Order: sequence, then structure tokens, then C-alpha cells
Amino acid sequence: MTISRRAALQGGLAAGALAGGLPLARRAAAASDTSTLRAVMQGDLRVFDPIWTTANITAYYGVMVYDTLFATDEQFRPQPQMVGKQDLSDDKRTYTFELRDGLGWQDGTPVTAADCVASLHRWMARNGGGQVMQQFVRDISAKDDKTLVIALKEPFGLVTDLLASQITPLCFMMRKKDAETDPFQQVSSRIGSGPFVFNEKDTRPGSRYVFNKWTKYVPRQEPPNGLAGGKVVHLDQVIWDNIADEQTATAALQSGEIDFYELPPIDLLPQLQGDPNIKIDVLNKTGNVGIARLNCLHPPFASVDARRAMLYLLNQADFLKATFGNPKYYRTCPSYFGCGTPMQTDANTDWFKHGVDLDKAKQLFQQAGYNGEPVLVLDATNIAFMNNSAQLIAGQLQKIGVKAQLATSDWGGVVTRRAVMAPDDKGGWDVFITWGSAYAFSNPIALNALALNGKQGWYGWPSDPDYEKLRMQWATATDDATRNAIAQKMAVIGWNDVPEVILGQWVSPSAMRKNVNGFIGVPEIIPFWNVTKT
Amino acid sequence: MGVYIARRLAATLLVMALVGVFIFLLLHIAPGDPAAVIAGDNATPQQIADIRHQLGLDLPVPVQFGRWVWQLLHGDFGISIFSQAPVLTLIEERLPATISLTLLTMCFAGVLAVGAGVLAAWRAGGLLDRGLMAFSALGFSVPVFVVGYLLIYIFAMQLGWLPVQGYAPLSAGIWPWLSHLLLPALALGMAYVALIARITRASMLEVLAEDYMRTARAKGASASSMLLHHALRNAGVPIVTVIGIGVALLISGVVITETVFNIPGLGRLTVDAITNRDYPIIQGVIVVFSGAYVLVNLAVDLVYTVIDPRIRY
Repeated sequence: MTISRRAALQGGLAAGALAGGLPLARRAAAASDTSTLRAVMQGDLRVFDPIWTTANITAYYGVMVYDTLFATDEQFRPQPQMVGKQDLSDDKRTYTFELRDGLGWQDGTPVTAADCVASLHRWMARNGGGQVMQQFVRDISAKDDKTLVIALKEPFGLVTDLLASQITPLCFMMRKKDAETDPFQQVSSRIGSGPFVFNEKDTRPGSRYVFNKWTKYVPRQEPPNGLAGGKVVHLDQVIWDNIADEQTATAALQSGEIDFYELPPIDLLPQLQGDPNIKIDVLNKTGNVGIARLNCLHPPFASVDARRAMLYLLNQADFLKATFGNPKYYRTCPSYFGCGTPMQTDANTDWFKHGVDLDKAKQLFQQAGYNGEPVLVLDATNIAFMNNSAQLIAGQLQKIGVKAQLATSDWGGVVTRRAVMAPDDKGGWDVFITWGSAYAFSNPIALNALALNGKQGWYGWPSDPDYEKLRMQWATATDDATRNAIAQKMAVIGWNDVPEVILGQWVSPSAMRKNVNGFIGVPEIIPFWNVTKT
Repeated sequence: MGVYIARRLAATLLVMALVGVFIFLLLHIAPGDPAAVIAGDNATPQQIADIRHQLGLDLPVPVQFGRWVWQLLHGDFGISIFSQAPVLTLIEERLPATISLTLLTMCFAGVLAVGAGVLAAWRAGGLLDRGLMAFSALGFSVPVFVVGYLLIYIFAMQLGWLPVQGYAPLSAGIWPWLSHLLLPALALGMAYVALIARITRASMLEVLAEDYMRTARAKGASASSMLLHHALRNAGVPIVTVIGIGVALLISGVVITETVFNIPGLGRLTVDAITNRDYPIIQGVIVVFSGAYVLVNLAVDLVYTVIDPRIRY
């Protein structure tokens, strides 16, 4: 067989055209599908029970598949979602909620009040705020198929706020048979009544998670407002691709393989900003609050003087700059309840105004009786903010002669060690770093870090009975003005006790293709209703 | 031979058992608590203790170990702490991607590396030899993730020839499958090519200096006959050995490559499980990896007998 030059040339041209055509065909295919949106979210969806875990990614899944009785609007006010009519008795002890028309489970059965009763009980067993509410609840019952009644022992002003709260786990409604699962066991069903139905057939655990539009979902008539209002879905399908590598996810967004990237790393933002097909948007405007939690059980931080010394030692801007670089994405914040939140307060924040004073910090450590013992700072090296902050804290402590040591591990190691109440030499700790959403920091009932209830409470185990009395008053207050006034008093005690040092507040921008619009910016959650792709 | 294979298979089981014990103890000595990860940052110690109790993680380590071994003896690798899915099912789902990537890498790397090694030995000291050896040094020196990012940048982002990430099963068609694996296989294979090429070159140089090669040349054997028929076969044992040993290199590389290219294989499964302290998955995957490694080396031992008929077991 012989091959002529002409044939070889033709073959070569054909191969070249094929090779050249491939990318065009691939990109065109990705771009033309305007009914499917591919997204890379903050992590892998490992748990499918949004009551069982507080993981945000599972809450994201929750708002896709399930619905809530109430939802918060942009001003963080509770608004009815599954509820059509509501009534509060004159003595403020009986709430009556009537479900709106058209609610149905994705297995074809209608949503009933009995489903909601079981769901409320399960949620109260797992949610911090729900557990407080449970103390006030006398009975929850179904009056008929569409009406449920919450009877209280005494007035409790946070009922609808907690039912609407976006702090995980959200109060999702499940079918009665699912909601009757032990709260400490996962439900195995994926059936909800939300705007999307989970597509198990096309889902590949660990790789991609597929959600189809639930065509029988009846949205409210109001326009979307925060998580409240009508959940109108414009896409046929949403696919969450689990791309763990940030550089790869960024490349996938730029090449059009994905449409939305929830948390691109700050250092890759310039690369994305320079791409004409990409836009950057901050969806959670209140952002996150970073804290350095202090162990109040053992020296030196068992002494309030040593804890107060930390307020003279740490400068928020240093911590924020070390990790987030661009001031556009961070702010300093002295408020005990976060900034830009309903409970923001400047009460007792003189410590913030005086700034770093190493001599004063040293003097306070001496007053605390510090005698040269090692101070152990837990350092989660796999998370940039925690790693940078741990090193900065250790460095500042060393500057005033405190023998700070880093105990390095991954975050999984930190969450284990921080639970140890023993002293350092028996596996304990003195400081660890973490963060939470600023929205959560405005709720001292739902966020365990804002309780000062000793060994029954959150890590560090600070204790102050006066503060705890105020916290209960805050929970039972019936209006925002009273709650704000109580929050100010709590902040005064909080900054006197110093259970933790606030390291600042920041927002995390999301990146998306320019043909994607309509994302609703709310704290804690990324909703996919209202989103369009052109 | 049959007795030898049976003995080696029994040894494989023993190795897997020892690895299993070692991994189990290592995981329980190392810091980390799946219950704390599950519960989330806002959970109190009591809530974590409740979850730990539900999962049976508060039982004494010997009891947990006994339960795990008992399950394993019944062919049950346990259930993922997080997803509640059977570990064996998770492994089965992830295995095809990892096998595809590994086999493709071994095939292309084997052919390329042996060819390069033979050519380098044939032109020892020349430009080709130096060039190939420089490439080989580069393959060893540059981390797999750097190679991966470079390949993505050039072939996926700039040229747009291949996808950035993901995996398509063979059932989706040859090209979708191949197009998703080409870049990962290239990235993963760099160090493997370098290793095999260097050994092939050294082994070939040794054989080419033998008297019988001079005799073959004197008898008028062609260069290709000399290299491929006479020399390569005699140089084959060390090459096959290093191909087998290199599987360990591939297994460790797979973990990184699957992460960079977002391939849902066993490597990704392992990394995610370690982050979450999902003990049953880690234990299951490591046991499977150890079994695969031992079996590959058994296959290598058997290939010796084909290459060199003097070797008998």
C-alpha cells in the first residue's frame, strides 16, 4: 500500500480540523445547556440528613430538597414559608400554624401537620436554639391535617425566629416516618417537599450530586426576599461537582466546565477577575467572625487577667491581612455579636480602641500569676486562617515572655484535642482558633460559643451565672428592642470575662460565569432558586 | 509452580491482614475523632459524646478491632461513618476510575520508558542519550501536581483540546473515557517513565557489553534484532522488577493525581476519608491497596519465568 503526498496532506488537515474542532465542540456543548447549572460548592456532600449534622453543605442540600415552616428575609425577620396562616393567642402561649395549599412530598403524598409535629421534635433535639425552645414547650400537636399547634408553658418570643433561623441545623420538615428516626441516627430517605428533588440515579457520591427541578413544587406568590418569598426554580437541573483542588476548580470555571464556584481562594481571585467571562460577587454579606478561644479551666487563662491581657496583645488587622490580604474582603469588628448583624453593639469595646499594648499585656500576665508554664496554641495547619492566626498568637505571646508553643495537626486533630478538659501536660490545650458566621454570632441561644455555662457548655468552658441569666432573658424577650438592650448588657459581661478574642470579620466572594444571574445572597446558605443561566 | 502461586496468594492474605492491623492501630493512636467532625463546630462535648456512643466509637479499642476483624472475615468491610454506605460498595464504585488511570499510565509509561531506555543505551553518550536522561531527571524532580497544573494550563485552558477535570466511564465511549484520562496519565506517568527508562538504559548497557552481543553483531544481526531480540530480553528481569516496584509509586501518585484532576477514584476516597477520620473507609482502601501491590509483585515474579526460562519456582 502506498500513500500519496496529497492523501497524507488531506489526512493531516482532517486530523488538524478534528483536533481544533474538539475544544470548540466541547465548550459549545457546555455553554449551550442553559437548563443545567454546574457548581462547585464548599465541600463534599457526605451526609444527607440536615438535622443530624451542622455541616453547611448538608444545610445547602437541605434547602434544595426540604422546606421550612418559616424563613428569614433580608432583614433577618421571620416570614412564613410553608405556613399559610398563623395565629398567636392573647396570652402569647399558643401558636397556631396552618399549612398553605399545594404542599406535597416528592413521593406524591401531601404534607400534613403530623409530619411537621414529628419534624419539630427531631429538630428540637439537635438544634441549640431548639433545645432552649423545648424547655418552654408544653405540647406540639396536629389539630387537623393542615393545622399544628405549639403550646408553651410560658411566653417565649423566639419561636418563629428559631423556626426560620438559618443557623444549622435548620428546621426542615420531613415526612413523619423519616422524622421519627432517632435524632442521633441519620435518615435514609432523600424525600422532601422543597423546590428540588434529589436525583440519586445520576448522583455519584464523592464526585457529583444531581438535583432536578421539582415540577410539582408550589412556590409562594411573593418575590424572593432572603430565604423567604417564592422559591421559583428556573433551571431544570443543578449539579454539584465535588472538585477538591482549588486550582483545578478555578481552571474548570474559566474553561466553562462549571458555572459557579462558591469559595475560590483569595489568592486566585486576581486570576478570575482578569477573565472577561467571570464575575465575582459576595453572596453572604455579613460574612464570618474569627475567634481565638481561651481555656478558662487551667492557668494561665483560668485567670481573667490573663484573658484580658490577650485584648492588649492581638490586633485584628494583622490576622485578617495575613490570610485575606485584600482589605476589600475583611473588616475589623469589636462587637461581641458580630458586625452588620441585628445584635451588633459597641458596648464595652474600649479594649479595641486602645490597640496593642505589650507592656500592659505583660503586666496583666504577671497579675494573673503567670510563672513560665507553656501555653499551648492548637494549630490546624490545613486551614490557612487557623494556621496563620495560631502562629501570630504564639509570636505575640512570645514577645512578652510567655512560653507559647504550637501544637500542630490538621483540623480533625484540633476538634478532638479541644474537647479535652485536662491540663496541657495531659493532652489539654490553652488556645484554639475557629470561626463562625456573623449571622450565628448574633444569636446567643443558637450559637454555643456565646454561652458562658461552664463545663456543660462549649470548649474553653467559661462560666458566668449573671451572663447566663441575661441569656435566658434574651431568649424570652418578645421584641427586638428588648433583645438589643439585653445584648448590650451581655456584651459588657462578655468583654469583662473574655472567653475568646475576636480576630476580625471577613466575607468570602463567589465566582461565576457572566451568563449566570439571580443568586440570592443570604448568610449560611446558597439557594439555587431564582438563578438563571442564559 | 502451582504450589508456589498458592503459597504466594496465602502470603498476600497474611500481608493484607498485617496491614489491616497496623492501619487500625495507627488510626486509633493518631489524633482525630469522626464524631467531632460529624457534629460540627457548634456542637458541645456532650453532643459529640452522644454521637460517639451511637457510632460505637466509645467502645474499648480491642472490642472495636474484634468487631472489625469479625466483619472482615465475613467479607464485610463495614459502613462509612459519614455516608452510611457500605465501604465495599464505595470501593467498587471508585475502583474502575483508579484501575483505568493506573493501567493507562502503566501501558503508556512502560512502552515509552522502555523505548527511551533502549534508545538511550543504543546511543549512549550521544545527544539522544543525554536528552532522554535529562528528561528522566526532570520526571523525578518535578512533583506530579506541578506537572498536572502545567498540562491543564496548556492542553485544557490554552489549547482547549482536553477537559480540565472529571472522569467518564468506559461505557460512555472510548473518546470520553480517554480524553478525561490522558492528562492525568501523563502527569502520573512522568516519574514512572523516568524510573523505568533509567533502569532500562542501565540494564541494556550492561547487556550490550556482553560477549554474545559482539558475536551477534559479527554474525551480521541488524540493530533492531540486536536491541530488541537479544539485548532487551536479557535485560528484561530488572526492568520488569522495577515496573512492579513502581506500582507503589503509582499508588501514592494516584492519590494526588485524582485530586488534581478530580477523578472519583480510590485516591480521592482515601484523602476525603482521612480528612474526616472515616476509619472504615481508610482501613478498607488501604487493605485493598496492599493486596493489589502484593498481587502485582506476584505477577512480576511469574513474568520472570517467561522472560528467563532458567528461573523456576
